[in-house]
Amino acid sequence: MSDLLRRLLRTPQGALGLAIVGLIVLVALLGPWLAPYGPDTMAPRLRYRPPDAAFLLGTDQYGRDILSRLLVGARATVFLACVATALGTMAGALIGTTSAFLGGRADEAIMRTIDAIMSIPSLLFALLIVNLLGKSSFSAVMAIGIAFTPGMARVTRSVALAVRKQDYVNAAVARGETGGYIVLREMLPNVVAPIVVEMTIRIAFAVMLFATLSFLGLGAQPPSSEWGLMVAEARRFMHLSPWMILWPSLAIALVAIGFNLLGDGLRDALNPRT
Amino acid sequence: MSPSYLVKRLALIVYTLLVVSLVVFAITQVLPADAATMLLGENATADALAAIREKLGLDQPVWLQYGRWLGAVLQGDFGTSLRTGQPVAPALLEALSRSLLLAVLAIGLMLMLALPLGIVAALRRGKLADLVVSILSYVGVSLPEFVTATLVVLVLADWLKLLPATGYVPLTENLWDGLAHLALPVLTVSVILIAHVSRMVRSELVDVLHTDYVRAARLKGLSNRAVLFRHALRNALLPTITIVALDVGYLLGGIIVVEEIFALPGLGRQLIVAIQARDLPSIQAGALIMAATYSIVNFAADLAYAWIDKRIQYE
Amino acid sequence: MNVLQVQGYSLDYATRSGFVRALDSIDLAIARGEVLGLVGESGSGKTSLAWAIMRHLPPLAREAGSISLAGKSLITANAAEIGTIRGRRIGMVFQDPSTSLNPTLALGQQLAEVLVRHRGLSRRQAWAEGEAMLARVGLKQPAAMMHRYPHEASGGEKQRVVIATAFACQPECILFDEPTTALDVVTARQILDLFTELQAETSVASLYISHDLALVSRVADRVAVVHRGRLVEQGAVDTVFGAPREEYTRRLLAAVPRPHHRLVTGNPPAEAPPLVEVDRLNVRYAGSTPLQQANRDISLSVRAGEILGIVGESGSGKSTLARALTGLNRFEGMLRFSNRRIGGLRDMDRAYRRDVQIVFQHPDSSLNPRQRVREILSRPITLYGGETRIEGLLEQVRLPVSFADRFPHQLSGGEKQRVAIARAFASRPRLVICDEITSALDVSVQAAVVELLVDLQRHHGTAYLFITHDINLVRQLAHRIAVMYRGELVEVISIDDLAATGPRHPYTRLLMDAVPPPREYAS
Repeated sequence: MSDLLRRLLRTPQGALGLAIVGLIVLVALLGPWLAPYGPDTMAPRLRYRPPDAAFLLGTDQYGRDILSRLLVGARATVFLACVATALGTMAGALIGTTSAFLGGRADEAIMRTIDAIMSIPSLLFALLIVNLLGKSSFSAVMAIGIAFTPGMARVTRSVALAVRKQDYVNAAVARGETGGYIVLREMLPNVVAPIVVEMTIRIAFAVMLFATLSFLGLGAQPPSSEWGLMVAEARRFMHLSPWMILWPSLAIALVAIGFNLLGDGLRDALNPRT
Repeated sequence: MSPSYLVKRLALIVYTLLVVSLVVFAITQVLPADAATMLLGENATADALAAIREKLGLDQPVWLQYGRWLGAVLQGDFGTSLRTGQPVAPALLEALSRSLLLAVLAIGLMLMLALPLGIVAALRRGKLADLVVSILSYVGVSLPEFVTATLVVLVLADWLKLLPATGYVPLTENLWDGLAHLALPVLTVSVILIAHVSRMVRSELVDVLHTDYVRAARLKGLSNRAVLFRHALRNALLPTITIVALDVGYLLGGIIVVEEIFALPGLGRQLIVAIQARDLPSIQAGALIMAATYSIVNFAADLAYAWIDKRIQYE
Repeated sequence: MNVLQVQGYSLDYATRSGFVRALDSIDLAIARGEVLGLVGESGSGKTSLAWAIMRHLPPLAREAGSISLAGKSLITANAAEIGTIRGRRIGMVFQDPSTSLNPTLALGQQLAEVLVRHRGLSRRQAWAEGEAMLARVGLKQPAAMMHRYPHEASGGEKQRVVIATAFACQPECILFDEPTTALDVVTARQILDLFTELQAETSVASLYISHDLALVSRVADRVAVVHRGRLVEQGAVDTVFGAPREEYTRRLLAAVPRPHHRLVTGNPPAEAPPLVEVDRLNVRYAGSTPLQQANRDISLSVRAGEILGIVGESGSGKSTLARALTGLNRFEGMLRFSNRRIGGLRDMDRAYRRDVQIVFQHPDSSLNPRQRVREILSRPITLYGGETRIEGLLEQVRLPVSFADRFPHQLSGGEKQRVAIARAFASRPRLVICDEITSALDVSVQAAVVELLVDLQRHHGTAYLFITHDINLVRQLAHRIAVMYRGELVEVISIDDLAATGPRHPYTRLLMDAVPPPREYAS
């Protein structure tokens, strides 16, 4: 692990990405304790204030402290995005590896169907599922997880096939190793790395998708301080206070940038040949 | 390229559309509320609901509903909207034309900006220009459409008062005004595309510039210009076709959000309305149109690729 | 005056950990009409010298000394001047024609553009001239070939186009960077003959870079030997190869496979029952016609302790056979091992696996990059018992014991192959299949690995199925030779018979003629 960290810190993307993501994870974990005010504490006479000593990022239309809302909302935005991505990756990895393992007609049939499902834009797919499950954070997570599954299945399958072709797998077959050993000890360690890279970059996409769903009113519901929801609510009051819209937008962008950078950094760090 | 390949691809497109229609149907069928409740509201009586359901054919068994729908579609009839009672196809096709305009303009803008940006970044690799483009593309790729839209409206519409914030004016009515109203949506939806494609172009060109054949071309004494244009760019820009085609899927999703924010009467907006109203025929048709667009664009891209790169032979 | 003169030239590359010396005080010269061979192994810097002459160096490279063309310094020339020199006064022929030609441009275009650029011809004139050049280099239908794309031409045809392009502007000097390495042996011979012919005709000063000493000894007038950036020895070919002064040159020469220099003496007892019997083995890939089969009716046998060499070009099916015997390919036909019938993967049980092992060609991909050497070697021990110490296995292949904790990417190609061999011998197999295991290695590394194999064979009495495309190597090593061509076994002959009567099949004769062994000098 320390070896991985060292390699990660060698590239600017890895170092910067790790720093940003580390900060975000910290904020997501400790948010509620770090917040100076409660996220729902209203102060009607202190509405639309710009950043000042009392409210570091300003207040919103109900006088709630924006910083506190951001800190508490980090959990919603970031954790749930991670959960959704993890779900999609696991489901996709299962399908993809199975398809690669089966090979032949079965593989082709599965992949054609996956391709067909992928012709539905992710957002549309998520919208349909969220409408199915009712508007809530939970259904948004499920929706995103399901929407990610075909893409991750594709990636897993192509990685698994590439690894399968390598001579060290052939050597294991020629040694008479059992299927279990080959998959777990020879293939999996070499398959996991590219998947982790892809997954990290997908988290960025999940954060954006989750925020978009909340923005459209289909994800987190008020009074949650999920960042996308904050942007949606703030739109109406843009001319009264641009800060209400600015901070959550920046936060979303920062998280996405952080995970993108980290994904690129991991790609180099996890490459065993460099 | 053999005829059998063409047939195979077309059959695949049909299969794709079939799968999409099934998936959409399955998802919408599990809904607790249905179109009837949406039409009459929460307080409708059970009798009124039952009457409407019978009228709209919603009380039939699920597989029968799907079968009838499919049968009608194969004859070109996409049914009537459960919400408006009007035929689905004409309304959606008109909405599609507006969305296509948005999409085409976005792709056009993207090509005009992303290609030069990516090329410059590759040629000036490691220098300031490359770093700037790199940072811009990381940022661009990390901004959801609603954030970009909001920022763009804030700066260009509210502060600088350069362009209108929302609304739609058909181009046929007033060309300049129509374009002005489309400017912000097009800009919004192309930001992510520009960021993504410029990054891909840069990475492709960097790879191509390091190939043996570009080195050989240089060492043959050809001018820098000849090396860049005749040898490097040709091969680097070819994969861009595939990348752009794959991004169309993402573009279609982005269009949904953008149309909602800017109140444009396009396919995306119609879909959102249809989803909220549980208007199944409209949802089906809308989803199919999007899936078909994606499939056709990718098919065309593959054909174009094979036509330009003679190595690719589809059997 | 010499056409090309290199004096006291040194080159340093900038890397993350400081400057690395690639070339150190190189002195050489090529006169008009002369062929100077530049021999060295990988990492010797021979290719770096070519890039230095062509002025194709990374921006942070540091140079000292001089390189001049007909008296004019190349190092001080500016970009414009270099642009007029490259292609017109110095040409270059590259190693791999499938990567040095632009895949999306027609061959004729890539030839004509040079003529337009350097000889000021119009497009039409250039095209006609190009056609004439293609005819000159021996292409059968020059007009048609001009319109073809690289993927529509064979390796030999492409290399002829590259050669035509280099000669097209009648340069004073041409650099040839291993022009035949990527070609199959028979085609390589033809290209070599073409080179000799054109060179004699045009009197172009030629720098012929190669790792293949046998080849260079037949083609060059003078030769320079490079080792780790330093010029070790230089002189007339006969002098350097016949009476080498330096230790390194001697070692390099000794490593070249000489068919008459047998490494394995004696024969396994003739009455011993066959260990492996293959009768009418067929390997078919899905959807291929009978004529396209990878292996067609192969019948051969291997006795215990015997070394059977299998020789053939790429596409001859020799690797397919190896994979069939280890269950990596499905096959039809009969295979018997130690008198037991093996029908397929199912019959290949633990006992079979213990007795039959395989070593692959590419050490980079045959060792799991995420496993340390210790883990790689412990698998066969766990599966089969036998030699129970990792240290013992490493000692057997003459690797330091400390390598056990390394990852594959921390080892050189030769070291990785030794690990692969150690892995194979861990179970004390009775048959080891060596699938082109030295093809990706330098000649001296190859010699060391072959010596190791011979040693192990003497020690354990293992039988080998030694697959290679190098007929000279196999004549050094094997008791019997099997020759494959397009999926069929065309000849099986013992070494003694081969020496006595010569090959029976014309294809074997063709293979042997294509790579004559290095010139023998009275030592």
